[in-house]
Amino acid sequence: MYPRPIQDAPRSRQIMYKVALPISLIIWLLPMIAIVATAGRSLSDLNFGNYWGIPTEWAFVDNFTEVFNSSSIGIYLINSFIITVPSIIGALFLSTLAGAGLALYRFRGRYLILALFIAGNFVPFQILMIPVRQLTLDLGVYDTYWGVILFQIAFQTGFCTFFMRNFIADLPFELVEAARAEGVSEWQILIHVIVPLVRPALAALAVLQFTFIWNDFFWPLILIQSDDLRPITLGLTTLKGQYISSFNLLAAGSLIAALPPVMMFFAMQRHFIAGLTLGASKG
Amino acid sequence: MNFFKTAVCAAALTAMAASVSARELVINANTSDPAQRQAMEELVASFESEYPEIEVVFNLYDHEAFKTAMRNFLVSDAPDLITWNAGNRMRVFVELGLFEDVTDVWEAEGLYESMPAVIGASSVDGRQYGVPYAYYAWGLYYRRDLFEQAGITEAPTNWEEFMEVGAQLNEAGITPVTIGTRNLWPAAGWFDFLNLRINGAEFHAELMDGEVAYTDDRVRAVFDAWAELVEADFFIDNHPGYSFQEALPFMNQGDAAMYLLAPFIVSMFPEDVLENVDWFPFPIIDPEVGIYEDAPTDSFHIPVNATNKDDARLFLAFAARADVQTETAATLDMLPPNINATVAEDRFTQGGFAQLSRADGIMQFYDRDTDPALARVGMQGFQEFMQNPDRIDEILERIEAERARIYGEL
Repeated sequence: MYPRPIQDAPRSRQIMYKVALPISLIIWLLPMIAIVATAGRSLSDLNFGNYWGIPTEWAFVDNFTEVFNSSSIGIYLINSFIITVPSIIGALFLSTLAGAGLALYRFRGRYLILALFIAGNFVPFQILMIPVRQLTLDLGVYDTYWGVILFQIAFQTGFCTFFMRNFIADLPFELVEAARAEGVSEWQILIHVIVPLVRPALAALAVLQFTFIWNDFFWPLILIQSDDLRPITLGLTTLKGQYISSFNLLAAGSLIAALPPVMMFFAMQRHFIAGLTLGASKG
Repeated sequence: MNFFKTAVCAAALTAMAASVSARELVINANTSDPAQRQAMEELVASFESEYPEIEVVFNLYDHEAFKTAMRNFLVSDAPDLITWNAGNRMRVFVELGLFEDVTDVWEAEGLYESMPAVIGASSVDGRQYGVPYAYYAWGLYYRRDLFEQAGITEAPTNWEEFMEVGAQLNEAGITPVTIGTRNLWPAAGWFDFLNLRINGAEFHAELMDGEVAYTDDRVRAVFDAWAELVEADFFIDNHPGYSFQEALPFMNQGDAAMYLLAPFIVSMFPEDVLENVDWFPFPIIDPEVGIYEDAPTDSFHIPVNATNKDDARLFLAFAARADVQTETAATLDMLPPNINATVAEDRFTQGGFAQLSRADGIMQFYDRDTDPALARVGMQGFQEFMQNPDRIDEILERIEAERARIYGEL
């Protein structure tokens, strides 16, 4: 049964809907509201336990200025982009190739390879900490952007390949056959037939990967030491003290850190929804 | 081709730049509290102005992230200097062969004479493995105005007075003690002091080294005293729900009167509250037992895998100097280990200094003195005990099982 427009529902249900919606929305957004409210408070308010009341002084501007002054958050933001963008491009590029290979060619062991890609997703990445650190040391990319970028590409390619393979396998195979009959080379088929058709999937994956990689804390922590290479997730924690944390600054910093993924989502929203549900129903 | 030329030039320039600033000193630190951060930045700046030829690269971590990161960077691409804690926390890394022996710095700079209080804390088997830059006393911070409100005129000095103060505060509708045990360690402060006051430092040290069973009657006596406090409603309700910082508003709002803590809390009292905040050492329980205090010590260490150990040693000597320690400790609200340094003119720092000066001995802190795994189980037990004192037998057996696992059966 499809969800019917609320206008068609009986009046009592419409009223219930209109009452319940804002309430559940507020409950749902409470953590977010708390962060925004905390970002506008002074530390002395927090020390007094004034978490939800009216702030004694509005400190939005102060807190955001302080975040920029007391940490190199600008550099951290740029570092996050430097790590995230190549990682996404790399992962999408490799997974499109692998996905197309697994979807279009019927060779022996293709399911085994696909299974390996999927199995990679089930490995808890923490257990890779020591081997990966050693590997980056041996490759000479420890404490560089490349260490993190290479690992993110390698790890995220598993999930992306699974996604792309299924997407490409769902495309009408006749298109490929028709192109082959015309004598188009396999490369040309990939570039001119497959890639334009999987654009929604690529957009959806790009948004997902952006949030995954942007928000990742663990790998930069392990693979990067220098303050001037740190992404924002790692940089923000320096606002957290051993004993004392400036929660207002942390909240302000978190809001800044959360902006790019949110903006990315809005920019790609159309593709994102289309990509996730495309092929979900046969029609 | 042009690109190739550019690349070669760039590489050459980089190589030159590297040779010019060859004296690069990398410091990784876990000092991310606002005051700690300021103190470190000032320390680094004054070091750089004294040694302009050395460029310091300062990487700051938050404490928890640092614990994960240091296990990685110490064995791979180690920095030249790190901040860490003296005592057992240092010993763990010394025994893994990851900290450099810096006895030479102690000898050359005469630190054995100028830092007598911290020699033991920074040595393993008679060799020194770090140079402390600050230490601090633990004590009971209290609000004088709330005490007066409850008709208390003097800070308690012994157990009877302490119990009496609690009763009077409760009568006035004020919870005697605030505490947040979600991070576990605030509860360990109570255990340390009760044990030090009841059983003394020798027994405490044996317990920390795993040489005594937690099911020992003397440990039991500590929990009996603690249970007295719990049963007399000394502590705020639901303390496992609060971090130590989240428990502070109870004191600032005037709902609770005391907090067993260290000087890093001072900067967190709003000004109008701070005027009324004072401090007293943990009360004496058994006058026969000497006065022993917890005084956690923070120090610099050189990783064995560091590249620029010479300049790291220069930094250690610099950070140990009396005038430098005066500055650093004052910014931290803590005490300088160097006896020639000046203690800041502030009632908490001066009080802490007096407290440690009269002490018969100094321990670090529960989670710095004993094995980290045992400390965790132990502190979980303390937290549970403070909620359910009647479960004491199971709790002690559980801690004892962990002790036996780590240190072996007795």
